[in-house]
Amino acid sequence: MSNLDHGKFTRVTTLFHSLLGLDVFLLFFTGYAIMFNDELWWMLTLMGGASGVTAIHRITGIGLVALVIFWITLQLISSTGRSNFSKILPAKDDVDAFIQDIQFVLGRADERHPSARQFAGYKADEVPLLSYIGKGVVFIFSIELTLLAISGLLIWSKTGLAAMFQTKAAAMAFVTFHGLLGVIMLMGVMFHIFEHGMHPAFYPVETKAFIPRSMVPEHHGDDDEEPDTTGIERLSLSPSWRTVSTIFGAMTVIGIVSVLIGSIFDEGYPVPRELAIGGGPSSILLTIGINLGMVVLGVGLVLSMYGNVLRIRWEQQLERDERPAAADGGEPQTDGGQPESDDSEN
Amino acid sequence: MTNTEDLPEVNGYSRVSVLVSAVVGLAVAALALFWAQGFRLGYESLYRVNPSVEGGGIGADWVFGNTIPALDFLIALIHAADVILGAFILVMVFIHWAAFQRLAGKMREPGEDTSEAVAADGGSPARGDGQGGDGA
Repeated sequence: MSNLDHGKFTRVTTLFHSLLGLDVFLLFFTGYAIMFNDELWWMLTLMGGASGVTAIHRITGIGLVALVIFWITLQLISSTGRSNFSKILPAKDDVDAFIQDIQFVLGRADERHPSARQFAGYKADEVPLLSYIGKGVVFIFSIELTLLAISGLLIWSKTGLAAMFQTKAAAMAFVTFHGLLGVIMLMGVMFHIFEHGMHPAFYPVETKAFIPRSMVPEHHGDDDEEPDTTGIERLSLSPSWRTVSTIFGAMTVIGIVSVLIGSIFDEGYPVPRELAIGGGPSSILLTIGINLGMVVLGVGLVLSMYGNVLRIRWEQQLERDERPAAADGGEPQTDGGQPESDDSEN
Repeated sequence: MTNTEDLPEVNGYSRVSVLVSAVVGLAVAALALFWAQGFRLGYESLYRVNPSVEGGGIGADWVFGNTIPALDFLIALIHAADVILGAFILVMVFIHWAAFQRLAGKMREPGEDTSEAVAADGGSPARGDGQGGDGA
């Protein structure tokens, strides 16, 4: 079986998401190995020391510039991009969805709002292109990535930075600004990984961002049946979900709290705002917490790759389904891990 | 599972717009690289500073600190944004965590009769490992 729900994104969008994810993960690993070098000394060493880390950070930084400019250009020059613009603007539904999410958690609503729903099921027609969280991700990440790319290039170009700031310490304070700016996105990405990895219907990864809309069937239910629910009650929970989601949820919270605290007390690479150098890990708990945050990012990287593996397997499945039907009209074949196809079940 | 006939017609991005965007992206990245680095190949080392070291030491010339109020304000502002948005992100984690628990409560328990159960794509989990919205 698979954990496909209704697809939303084009092939280009899914490919862009994977490339951007890989690039941003590498930027995080290298950037925060520098900023939290006391707590992440092993990452600094693992990636070739100071020279290796800064080299990888710069190469992936240029990759980020290419990806950001590619995406902005594509949205501007293509009719698909322009037509999607209105769909990503915040609307009243998004506020309603946030409020209903709280009500849902408190048991005062039976379902999540369509603008919050990750599992669409039988009610796919109600679900917009982006949930309220999805819109937040697009806006915050767009602003962050643009500011980080610009400030990163300024840091890289010493002459550019020197033209703006007259003292070395002031110039290097700009590095601190760059690192602190990325902390918002770092925390957001940890939440993003939890949100799309631990949904019980999609666990261990939600495939919408990896398998394009063109490869996901739109019709699943009986025509004469008007569904009352999304149909999630017909899905079986994975045996490992409770344990894994609890552990991973705790790691996500600890990771977010730790990098937040770390950014307040350990902003000082290379020069903190007030020149009160901490030096060395301030606490063993903080060291463990920040490292757990990096593990959460590592899981995100693995899940991103796994999402692409699922896409390739799904492509192969579709090819197998199509081949015999085209040849002799016979039954489609399935692999050992998949249940046999039956249109009457769709 | 599904038949390819069920797959939708999708109007995605045209090849030309993707190609043009890719060329623009790579060209701007190359220009940015040239502006920041030029044609010089090289690297620089990280080094920790410790201006509190009495009598000098590495980084002792940093003691004057950041004297530009605008930059000082920006850093304070980003600190505040980190804390406010960090707290908000934590709230969102807890809301989703609790929502996932409630959604899981609506689903069939592992090993429960799956004869009428379906996978998220409309297929049947009646065979295989007995899971619904999981695995592939």
